[in-house]
Order: sequence, then C-alpha cells, then structure tokens
Amino acid sequence: MAGEVIYEVRNVSKHYGPVVALDGASFKLHAGEVVGLVGDNGAGKSTLVKVLSGAHDADGGELFLDGKEVRWTEPRQALDAGIETLYQESGLAPHLTVSQNVFLGREKFVKGIFGKLGFLARKQMESEAHRDLEAVGIAVPSSNRSVAQLSGGQRQAVAIGRAVSWAKRVIILDEPTNHLGARQAGEVLHIVKAAKAKGLGVIFISHTLPHVLEVTDRVIVLRLGKIVKDAPTNLFDGDTLVAMITGTITELPSEKKS
Amino acid sequence: MTDSKQQLSMKDRARSLVGNQTSLLIIVMIVLAGIFTAFSNGTFLSTGVFSTILTDWGALILLAVGQTLVVISGGIDLSVGSTVSLSTVVAGYVLVKVMHLNSTLTGSAAWGPLAIAALVAVLTGLVVGAINAVLINVLKIVPFIATLSTFGAAAGFAIIISGGMPLQGPTDFTLINPIRIPGIDVQTCDTGLLSPMVILMMIVITGVGLFLHKARFGLYTYAIGSNAFAARAAGINVTRHTAKIYLVSGALSGLAGFYAYVRLGGGSPSSGAGMELYAIAATVIGGASLMGGIGRMWGTALGTLILFTVQSGLLMTGVSPDWKQIVVAILIAAAVAVQTLQKKNGAR
Repeated sequence: MAGEVIYEVRNVSKHYGPVVALDGASFKLHAGEVVGLVGDNGAGKSTLVKVLSGAHDADGGELFLDGKEVRWTEPRQALDAGIETLYQESGLAPHLTVSQNVFLGREKFVKGIFGKLGFLARKQMESEAHRDLEAVGIAVPSSNRSVAQLSGGQRQAVAIGRAVSWAKRVIILDEPTNHLGARQAGEVLHIVKAAKAKGLGVIFISHTLPHVLEVTDRVIVLRLGKIVKDAPTNLFDGDTLVAMITGTITELPSEKKS
Repeated sequence: MTDSKQQLSMKDRARSLVGNQTSLLIIVMIVLAGIFTAFSNGTFLSTGVFSTILTDWGALILLAVGQTLVVISGGIDLSVGSTVSLSTVVAGYVLVKVMHLNSTLTGSAAWGPLAIAALVAVLTGLVVGAINAVLINVLKIVPFIATLSTFGAAAGFAIIISGGMPLQGPTDFTLINPIRIPGIDVQTCDTGLLSPMVILMMIVITGVGLFLHKARFGLYTYAIGSNAFAARAAGINVTRHTAKIYLVSGALSGLAGFYAYVRLGGGSPSSGAGMELYAIAATVIGGASLMGGIGRMWGTALGTLILFTVQSGLLMTGVSPDWKQIVVAILIAAAVAVQTLQKKNGAR
C-alpha cells in the first residue's frame, strides 16, 4: 500500500489577472500511490500541474517535498528534485530526435576537453535512450528519428517513457491517454502501474474516467479552482464521478450512509 | 534494404534528390554557374572575379552564420547590417579621433591598431547583441520589432559618430588580398580565394557549425526553435540561451564590422547598409525555416555561395547590378516555396 507522504500541497492559489485559476488547493501524495486529478475544463487541473512542476510560480501557499518546504521558480528545480511531468501540450521538440528529446536538459558529453566545451556523446545517448525506453515498456522504431516523423501514439509513448525513466520521486501525467487507441492506452496504464510499484508518487490527470477508475488509488475532484472532494477511488463509480465533477452532487452516496 | 532502394523508379530518385535541400542547392549552384559561364564567354570561372566578390562581400558570411543561429532558435536579427556600420565606425573613431592615427600607417605597422579595432568592433557588436537580448527577454518584445529598433538606432549612431563621412585610418590590405605562396605561379595555380580574412571566416563558420551540430549549444538552439515550452520544461534556461544567441550574432556582426574596416581602410557609416537582407537571404536559401527548429550551417554556406555566384555572374555577363536585388528576391521566394512543398510531401 501507499507509503509516506512525498509531495504535499498546502493552500496553493494562482490568479491570471482577475481570473482565479486555483483557490486554496491542499492535498498529499504518498509514495507508491496513484492519485487521480479530475475536473471539468477550466477547473484548474493544468494550472495545478504547472505549479507542481515549476512551470508556474504560485501566488500563495506552500509545497513540501519529503516534508521540506520547496519553492520552484523554474522547471529545472523541480526536475532536479526528482519530479517529472508529462504536459498536455506536447512536451517534446518535434525537430529533435527521440534520443535528443529523452536526454534534453540532461545531456551526456564526450570525454576530455571537447566534453568541457559541450560536445555531445551522441551515440551513447542514442543507445541509452533506446535501452531506457525499452526498460519502461516502450518500443520505439529508432532513437535517431526525429519526433515529427513519429505517430501521435509513438510521440506520447516517448514523452511518457522519458518522464518515467527520469522520475525519482514524483511523476505528473497530464492527459497521458489522450489521442491514444485502446491498446496504446492500455500500455500507458500498465506503465503507470509499474511506476507505482517502483514506489513513485503518481498524479494522473485525465478526462477519460474509466482510466481514472482503473488506475488510481484516490481521486481528487477540482471544480472552479477548488478541491471539492478527495476520496479513495473505490468509493466512486462512473456516475458519481461525473456528478461530482459537474457539481450535481457534493457528497458521495457511500459517505451519507456512514 | 538494398532491394527496395534498387526498386526506386527514376521519378522517385529525382524527387528524393530534389527533396534533399543540400543536393538541390548544389544543383542550383551548378545551373547558375553554367548559365553565367555560357553568357560570359567563360570568364565567369576565373577565380579573380570570384575573389573580388568574396572580398567585397566577405563580411556577409559572418552575418549569415549568426543569422543561422538566430533563425534556428525561432527568432530573427534585423540589426546585423546596421551593427556592421556602427562597429566599423566606432573602431574608426577610436583609432582616428581617440588615438590620432591616420592612414599613413600601413602594412604590419598597422597590426597593433588593427588588433584594437577588432576588439572595439566586436565589443560594439556585443553591446548591440546585449540590447537585443534585453529587449527580447526582459521587455518581451518580439524579435522582429526588437531588432528593427536596434537596426534603426545603430544606423543612426553610425552616422552621428562618424559625422556621415568615412573615418580613414591605418590598415593593412595584405589581410584581404590573396595569399601569394612563394614558388607557385599565379598563372597556373590561382590562390585568389584565400586571403587571411577569408581563412578567418572559414574558421568561424566551421567552428560555429561544429558548436551548432555537435554541441549542447546547438542542441538547445534547435530545441528552443522547435518548441520553446518543451525546452523550458526540460530544464533549459531559455532566456539565458536566447540571450547567448543574440550576443553571438552581435559579436559576429562586430567582427564583420572589423572586416569592413580592414577592407575600406577605415570606418564607413554605410558599410553594412542592406546586409541584413542578404544575411537572411543566405540563411533561408540555405534551408533554415523562419518558424524555427530547422537549418544547417553548411546550408547557409551554400546559400551564401549562391548569392556570391549571382553577384559575380551578373557582373560578368554585363547585366546591371541593379538586377541583383530582384534575383535575390526570387531566390528567397523560391527557397521558401521549396520548403513548403517539402513539408507537404513529408520530406525532411
């Protein structure tokens, strides 16, 4: 079961001008736990993802990683702390090859003076990218192909593979099964379960509710920038989840009974 | 693999040959050279002519090298021509008005002052590059408008500082003249293309090309031009890297200003006028995309050579040089049309 608290969000808020995108969100993520983050368009999911990954700085509130307060002003800081993110907008550079994307920001250099000057160990990165992607269950035709030449599903697979293979503590997946066929989506869910088994904390954002119900341990429902429900997944079914997201119910039937 | 290659029809082969930007550029070069040779009774191929063009327009190579980095990163630098004018004038001002040197100082005696001129010119270029970086990264002005402002300001300062007149100072013309190798007859083996400054430019284009294609500097340049969001999400400091690119472009424009100083024997306020157009043209003809993420240094080298070929060809066939701008305009339009077609066909 879930271990200790890895990542904690306390009372985080974010405004875009007069628009309140996040209004005092708080939750905890445990090691070896998959938390689903659901909500309608504009509920604040992507904003929360960007705050958690360091792409945006929050206006208020605190973040704690392993009990220590952290503050991100650049994605680099979150990455260095072991937090990987798959963004809904493509997080890959289409003109670069698969291996260049996998190693982007973490390049390996040739030995000696040329390495000091920033010359890259291309062959080494190509073979390691191939190996790392295969290790997380992703078969990519060739790691020296440009990402633009891959199909939508292959691109998504590379992006997920990169995130999973680098993640040390937390992995945030924003709509990882979007635009994927049933078989590919199944592979992604398999990768999520493998990451969980490795002891990573996983935040799983999706509109595809059956996937949320299948893969998560806990579900957090966001509505209009506020967390309106945080409960174990087995208390929800498809209907109650939809009703909770749209706001037609505010309490789960199972809670009323108890 | 080999089987499927052999089964390619002639049409497919022709298409893949044209689909490849480099081979297309080489074909264009050969066709242009053929036309000019035919219409100039063969004089076009004499290296003397080409070396004159190379000397006149050598600074352009440096601007095109910098422009290639900027364009691949998804930006544009319109200030490069004016930066040449400004840096050459500032170099002239320091030597003539501050150090009170004049054009009677020639040959190797001028090397000391020329070293100072080079330093001053490159520093001036760096200042313009730094201003571009601040306008783009801090004030968040789009590169087109940011560098359009510095384009105007640098040209204005060049005229103000020089008083509108060339500042004649010390120089050494052997630096831009072809190297004569003792014992080799000029009639049989013309070394006309290789002046010390041309060798310097070859070193610069090769060096920057290596950093673009083999080192992290280039990888980040492509990544930012390809998808700036992804680059930042991968931990790249996009602001700092973009600043570096505009600084390099500025420094190379300053070096081009030094080249103009050596060639003209002083700082002339109009020496870089219009060069930004040709620098962008060379880059785009060489296959770089103004949308960012695409471009090659050897493409730019070929693009520059095509511009030189057009320039010298028009000269040798007796066509008015006024046609040059029109030919270059057609080449730019053709290059972008080819890129669009290649994208449609899914070729690389």
